[in-house]
Amino acid sequence: MSQTVAEPKVAVNIKEEQCSRCAICASLCPYDAITQDHDNKKMVLDIEKCQVCGICYSACPAKAIDTVYYSCESVLKYLEKVRLQYKSDSLVIMCKGSAPDFSEVGRLFGIKDFIPLAVPCVGRISEEVLLGVLTAGIKDINILACDEDYCRFHRGSPLTGRRVIALNRMLEQLGYGEEAITLKRNSLKVTVDKDLCIACGTCVAYCPYHAPTLTSAGGISFDLDACRGCGLCVALCPAFALDMDNWERARISDLIPKLLNEMKPPKILVFRCQWADYPPLNGDMSPSIGTIELPCAGRIEAFHILEAIQSGADGVMVVACSEDDCKQEKVSAKSEHVVAGIKEKLEQIGLGDKLGFASVSPRYPGQVEAKVREFRQSLEGAKKEAAE
Amino acid sequence: MIVTTLKPLDEILESISPYRKILIAGCDGCTQPPRGIREVKTLKQLLELAGQLKGKEFEFKVTSVVKQCDSVLTTSAIKPYVEDVEAVLSLACGAGPQTIAKFFPDLPAIPAQNSHFIGIDDRQENEMFDSCSACGDCILALTGGICPVTRCSKGLLNGACGGASNGKCELDPERDCAWELIYERLKRLGRLDLIKKFTPAKDYSAKGWRVTP
Repeated sequence: MSQTVAEPKVAVNIKEEQCSRCAICASLCPYDAITQDHDNKKMVLDIEKCQVCGICYSACPAKAIDTVYYSCESVLKYLEKVRLQYKSDSLVIMCKGSAPDFSEVGRLFGIKDFIPLAVPCVGRISEEVLLGVLTAGIKDINILACDEDYCRFHRGSPLTGRRVIALNRMLEQLGYGEEAITLKRNSLKVTVDKDLCIACGTCVAYCPYHAPTLTSAGGISFDLDACRGCGLCVALCPAFALDMDNWERARISDLIPKLLNEMKPPKILVFRCQWADYPPLNGDMSPSIGTIELPCAGRIEAFHILEAIQSGADGVMVVACSEDDCKQEKVSAKSEHVVAGIKEKLEQIGLGDKLGFASVSPRYPGQVEAKVREFRQSLEGAKKEAAE
Repeated sequence: MIVTTLKPLDEILESISPYRKILIAGCDGCTQPPRGIREVKTLKQLLELAGQLKGKEFEFKVTSVVKQCDSVLTTSAIKPYVEDVEAVLSLACGAGPQTIAKFFPDLPAIPAQNSHFIGIDDRQENEMFDSCSACGDCILALTGGICPVTRCSKGLLNGACGGASNGKCELDPERDCAWELIYERLKRLGRLDLIKKFTPAKDYSAKGWRVTP
């Protein structure tokens, strides 16, 4: 009997028959995942190098690239649906990396009611989407991108900048006014409470970017240009002296019971790096699973894990990117270390089963679901064992 | 730094079991990372969870002291809680609970940690190792900055003993021969003359048990 092995579904595909071999995708890919074959000029995608930023998809003039996440059609369809719900003609498209909290985003643009659309990298939003949105009757488009040199996908934010300039020039000629599309930039940064700092140097030791330095005055000073907002220092600071704009400790603490209250048992709370998985727009999640996105798995604190268990989570799972895929400087590996440390202590009191860790990549859709399912089964297994 | 590790949680639970109202006191001092307010809160959460499983309800208060070995800092940090708690669980090195015991004679002081040694934190290798025995009579100037009292298994003041093989100690093959390290270091510094110097037996009374600054 022959066995067939199903090829894992991948998140990005080049449709050869539609490709015109212009190689724009290869020139834009930040990871050299797309190359052109010297002999037959075909574009070749190395999915293992791909980080699924979607820049190639947004830039392909022949629409020869398919992506399972946030395609033009799905975004427009989604917006049409939620527009009624938000009752607004203003749209804010934001990179998840620059501002996760919608109220803060509104403040940045000076608007109160708007339709929020958070995507992993605004670079994946093509002209087609922006024009489609205007055609659909949305009057006001705002884009929140990361600072250019801070873009996780290197070229996404600069590309969006150029796109907006070009589109605005064109739209002006069509009578849409001078700045039909408003672009702002924002980046996540650490904040320091100097009164709480004990000048222990833990952040200095762990920061992958050499942003903090101990000062001769006996405190800490951060080079905010160097800070990439991973949150590792925030998660490790022994004195709770560090926090992160928009991903504050208290904000996450507030979310935990709120989500758990809405969930049905067995309640599994997932702390996930926002780059590890791209959930579908308006996707249906199981009522027993709640997700808190983090700017990087490095932001996970033992404190929050324990808080979740104390607030009634049957299981807590931390989902990070694999070490090679980490958009930060090998921070996901350190998060695994943090999780292992607290798991070891939970094991001592017989609660080790309640904490799981997985590393995944969005290049293979469905990995998170599979890992959470596995975790859930192990939880149920442990529960059964305990009952026997 | 002073190198400490958290005691097994069962042991901590056992030692705090006679009490209900407990102050967990961190120490921002010598360890890395410091057992400051974060470690205190984590321990609180873990003990609460463990207590729930055992049907025991604790009432924890939390604080962290800049240095628990400092009587002034410790007394001023602990004093506000004295009336409210039955015991203090200390996340300091061994000096912490003893400071509390000395200045709060009626308050039980319980260690949450085991203290191991005064050591070097090698972040590249991710290990900490014993490097100073606080002998009271430092000879590092003669030994290239590597302490044979601490790092030689035999504590030899004049080495090497000749028992090492491939640079490892004959008593513990995991351990570098301190005297080989000293030799290599002195050679590198161009100070091999120092290794020929005879160091007489140490006056361990210099270690003392009390120092008046």
